[in-house]
Amino acid sequence: MSDNTTEIRAALRAILADHSSADAVLAAEPEGWNEPLWRVLDDGGFATIAVDETIGGSGGSLADACAVLHELGRSAASIPFAEHALLAGWLLSQGGWDLPGGVLTVIDDTSGLQIEAAGAGFTLSGTANHVAWAGASTQILLAAVVDGTPTALLLSTKDVQVGGGANLAEEQRRSVAVDSITVPAERTWELPADAVEQLRLRGALSRAALIAGALERVSELTVRYTSEREQFGRPIGRFQAVQRHVVRLTEMAQQAAMATTVAALNGSDAVDFFDVASAKIVAGECASGGAAAAHQAHGAIGMTKEYELGQLSRRLWSWRDEYGHESAWARELGHRLAEAGADELWPRIAAGLLAAGPQA
Amino acid sequence: MRFIPTGLSAQELQLQREVREFVKDALPAGYRPGLGMGASRSPEFSKKLAERGWVGMAIPKQYGGHARTAVDRFIVTEELLSAGAPLGAHFVADRQTAPAIIKFGTDWQREFFIPKIVAGECWFSLGMSEPDAGSDLSSVRSAATRVEGGWLLNGTKIWTSGAHRNHYFAVLCRTSPSEDKHQGLSQLIVNLRGDGVEVRPIPFLNGAHEFNEVHMTDVFVPDEMMLGAEGSGWQQVTSELAYERSGPDRFLSTFGLVKYLIAERATGGLTPEQERAVGQLVARFWTIRQMSLSVARTIDDGGAPAVEASLVKDIGTRFEQRVIDVIRDVVEVQLDLDSNSTFEQLLAESVLTGPSFTLRGGTTEVLRSIVSKGLRNV
Repeated sequence: MSDNTTEIRAALRAILADHSSADAVLAAEPEGWNEPLWRVLDDGGFATIAVDETIGGSGGSLADACAVLHELGRSAASIPFAEHALLAGWLLSQGGWDLPGGVLTVIDDTSGLQIEAAGAGFTLSGTANHVAWAGASTQILLAAVVDGTPTALLLSTKDVQVGGGANLAEEQRRSVAVDSITVPAERTWELPADAVEQLRLRGALSRAALIAGALERVSELTVRYTSEREQFGRPIGRFQAVQRHVVRLTEMAQQAAMATTVAALNGSDAVDFFDVASAKIVAGECASGGAAAAHQAHGAIGMTKEYELGQLSRRLWSWRDEYGHESAWARELGHRLAEAGADELWPRIAAGLLAAGPQA
Repeated sequence: MRFIPTGLSAQELQLQREVREFVKDALPAGYRPGLGMGASRSPEFSKKLAERGWVGMAIPKQYGGHARTAVDRFIVTEELLSAGAPLGAHFVADRQTAPAIIKFGTDWQREFFIPKIVAGECWFSLGMSEPDAGSDLSSVRSAATRVEGGWLLNGTKIWTSGAHRNHYFAVLCRTSPSEDKHQGLSQLIVNLRGDGVEVRPIPFLNGAHEFNEVHMTDVFVPDEMMLGAEGSGWQQVTSELAYERSGPDRFLSTFGLVKYLIAERATGGLTPEQERAVGQLVARFWTIRQMSLSVARTIDDGGAPAVEASLVKDIGTRFEQRVIDVIRDVVEVQLDLDSNSTFEQLLAESVLTGPSFTLRGGTTEVLRSIVSKGLRNV
C-alpha cells in the first residue's frame, strides 16, 4: 500500500464515520443512495480519484480507487463512486473529454439496446435493466461495439425514461428505457479496441473491492460480538463451534482483500483479465461464505434491520452478482486457461503481483 | 492480522526461471508427478538440487548454507511442488530441522549436521507425535533420564514419516517432571539406526509405506545430541511449527489434478462444468499463493507472523482437499490407482491421502483455536 493510499483511507474513514454511520445508511435507503455523503466526498475531491487530472479529475491510481471502494464497502456507503470515477471518468478520458458536471453513471449491460449508426451519430432504443444510480445521475454513458467500432455514447438523463429497481440493499438499480432517440456525433467518440472489455473488467474489480471492504467490517463486527455476547456462562467466541465461523469469515475477508488488492496493483495501465476474473470469483465466493458464517455466529440479532450486519450482508449478496456472477467468470477463466494449455498454468499462477519486490 | 501483497524482484524472478528450467530438464520424460510433500523421494534428485545451491538455502554461509532469504526458498519450493518433483528425501531436513539446529543447536551440531543437510545427504524425520497425544504435544510421554555422558530415552513416536529411510529425528521428550506440562520438555536428536530404536511400518490408506511407529527402548543419547537448552523443548517445537506452517507445501499438494485435467482433456475441449471448476480453483490458487508468499516476505522483513501462518495453513490445506471434491465432481470416473491416465492416478491417490492434508502440522481445529486467540488479542 502506498503512502498515498494509506492517507486516502484514513481521511475517508473519518468522513464515513460521520456521514455513513449505520443510521445514515438506513436513512438513505428510501432514496436509494446517500446524497449528503456524495456531496461531502465530491467537495473534497474524493469522487474523482483515479480520474485523470487533465480532464478535471483528482488523479491517482487504480489501486487508490480500489482503496476508496474498500472503505465505501466497509461503511455500506451507497454512492456511485465506481460508476462515476472508475467507469464513466475512465471512458471520458479515453475520448479526451472533460468531466461534465453532475453525477455520472454507466450502462454496463447493453444487450437490451439497439444501437445503430445514423449519419454522423447514432440512434438508440430499447431498455437496459439494473442501471446503477440511474435516478441520481445527470448523464449516462455506455460503451458498445457498433458496426465493428468500439464506441462510447453520452446520454443526458433527460432524454431517457428512468424506471424503478433496486438491489437487495435498496441501492438504486434502475431500468432505463430509450425510445428511438438520436445521439449526435458530438456526444459520441471512438474507443480503443479493448475499451469495452476494459470497462467490463473495471466494473467487476469495483464490486470485488466493495466486497472486500464489507467483509473486513463484517469480520470485525463478528469478532466483537462473539467476544461480548455470553451464553452458558462465557463469551460464545470461546466455544470451538463458534470459533469455526469466526475464523472462516476472517479467512474469507483476507482472501477477498488479497485478490482484489493484487488485481488493482497489477492494473496500472490496463486491467488484466486473469487478475480481475480471479478477484471477482474469489470475492464472490467469499461474500457468500462470509455472510453465511457471520449470520450463523450472530444468531437472530444479525437478522434485524437496525443491526449493522444486515446492511453489509445485503450488499454482499447483491454485489457478488453485479458485473458477472462468479460462475460466469469461472467458466470464462477456465476456458481461457484450458486453451492456453497445462504448461502455461503454473507460470500464470506464479506471476502473482507484477510489481518488483515488496510493496511498502 | 495483516497480509501485505508482495511481488518478486528481478533477482527473484531470475531464480524462478532457473528453477523452472532445472526441473524441466531434471525430470525424465513421462515422469509420474507426486502430490506435494507426498511426492516420491529421489536421493539423486535431492543431490542435484543441492549442487545448484537449492537445499539449505536460508542457512548461513559459515555452515555451508547459502544465506538466501525465506522468499528465495519459497520460490524454489513452489516450483518443485507445482511440478510434483521428488523432494521427499531432503524436504523435512531442509524445511524444519536445519533451521532448528541453526537457531537452537550447538556449534558442534551445526558443523556436524548442517553441511550434510545442505548437500542433500542427511535426511530427518519429525519426532513430535505420539500415540494418544495427537495435536496436544505437551502431553508426550517419551521420557529421558540422566545417565553419565547423556540420556537414556524410552518411548514411542508415531506417524514418523520416512523413518525407515531417514537418518535421524529430533525427539520431543520429557527430561524432568513438571506441574506445568509445557515445562520439562527437551528435544534429543536420535539416530534412527541406533541401538534400541525399532522402526515398524504403519501401512497407509493408499498402500504406501510412508509412516512408522518408532519404539525407543533404553536408547542412549549423548549430551552433544541435546538440541537447544534442556527444558526448552516446548518453545522450540512451537516456534518451528509456527514458521513452517504456511509454505507452498500447504496449498499445492493437489495442484497436479488441475494441471493434468487440462493436459489430458483440454484437446477435446473441457465441458462448461469443467471449465468452471478450473476457473474457480485457479482463482483460489493465485490468491492463496499470494498470501503464503506474503508470510515469507514478512519473515524476511523481521516479522513474526505466527497467526497469519496458521491462517494460511488452514485455508491452504482445506483448499487442497476441496480441489479433490470439485474435480471429482466434474469428471465422473471410477477411481483406479493403476489407471493409464496420470490425471486419474493422481485423483485416486488424492482421494486416499487427502484427509491427511488437514492433519499434518496441526489439525484444522488446533489452527482455528490459534487464529481465534490471535483475532481477540488485536
